[in-house]
Amino acid sequence: MTRIAYREPEDMTEQARELTFARGNLNVYRTLANAEKVFTGWMLAGQAALTSPVLPLRLRELVVLRTAYLMDCPYELGQHRDVARTAGVSSDEINAITSESDWRTDHFNSTELAVLQLTTELLTTRSVSDAVFDQAHRDLGSEATIEVLMVINRYSGLALMLNALDVDLDESARLPIPARKDRTDGLTS
Amino acid sequence: MSRIPLVGIEQQPEPIGEFMARRGNLNVFRVLANAPNVFVGWAQLVDELFDSPTFSLRMREVVILRVAHLQGARYELGQHIGIARGAGLTEQQITAIVDTDDLDTAGFSRTERVALDLVTELCGTHHLTDDSFAAARAAFGDEALTELLMLISCYYGLAFVVNAVDLDVDTAARFQP
Repeated sequence: MTRIAYREPEDMTEQARELTFARGNLNVYRTLANAEKVFTGWMLAGQAALTSPVLPLRLRELVVLRTAYLMDCPYELGQHRDVARTAGVSSDEINAITSESDWRTDHFNSTELAVLQLTTELLTTRSVSDAVFDQAHRDLGSEATIEVLMVINRYSGLALMLNALDVDLDESARLPIPARKDRTDGLTS
Repeated sequence: MSRIPLVGIEQQPEPIGEFMARRGNLNVFRVLANAPNVFVGWAQLVDELFDSPTFSLRMREVVILRVAHLQGARYELGQHIGIARGAGLTEQQITAIVDTDDLDTAGFSRTERVALDLVTELCGTHHLTDDSFAAARAAFGDEALTELLMLISCYYGLAFVVNAVDLDVDTAARFQP
């Protein structure tokens, strides 16, 4: 049961309300809107991450799910199991990624494995070995590597907030996947 | 030595250049600038966290140092120990937060202690017990508690980035809070 009251849309600033509605009026936003002096910035940071075309949607969702699993965050897992499915991740793949080590088997391509290895090592040891970092960086390039790290940044930090406030998973509402800017030179896998 | 090249301030698009001119020409901004699509939104969050009047500079630095220590974030500590000193933390208090864990005798206020305990439990276990949550809520109220979590979240997540990149601490440039 969510530990603090949800902020009602009529008690938000117009910009905060618009951002909240555009993202499905989820419990996470209605809870964090209590921090009204910083909520808009946090939502804009999220919007930038959700609309950037640099990471393939599927790869982003793999990182989100792996982060949510390692952070033990039921809310993120509940939302993103469904978002990941929409992004082309199969149920078997979702089960593999939300387990201790099944993700190491043959579900994922080499770039995805390198990114999952980086995510796992970083979240469990708080640092990354040269070999693991270099593999991901070689596959992704600098821009996409930083974007992967920023996804880990955002969802690990969010997991702490969701767990601390024990936010209830929405019954049926799910994060809509916003349109992303066109990009022709993006990664293909 | 940073594992990803740092982008020069002169190569930044206007909003990033403007942010760095105000907040500092820091290695962390120069490395994040490799991903301009997400930098600007993230910078807006940083601005709101530091422009908000909810917490004193001192309280923010207490929280940031504790998060940075628990995350083993050499870069964050390198930036924020000096800022914490400037915000009025004593050497004994800084040592207690980032080294000895000897928080009881360092002369923190009751509210600072609640914040430190919250950070320690949350970063260590990823959760808060009912009792810990109740103590934090009583000390801060809903708005400030949620904002405190936003601050923790920002530095906790950023620690993973600077650790992964193995970012060098700036030789002279300092964050302008």
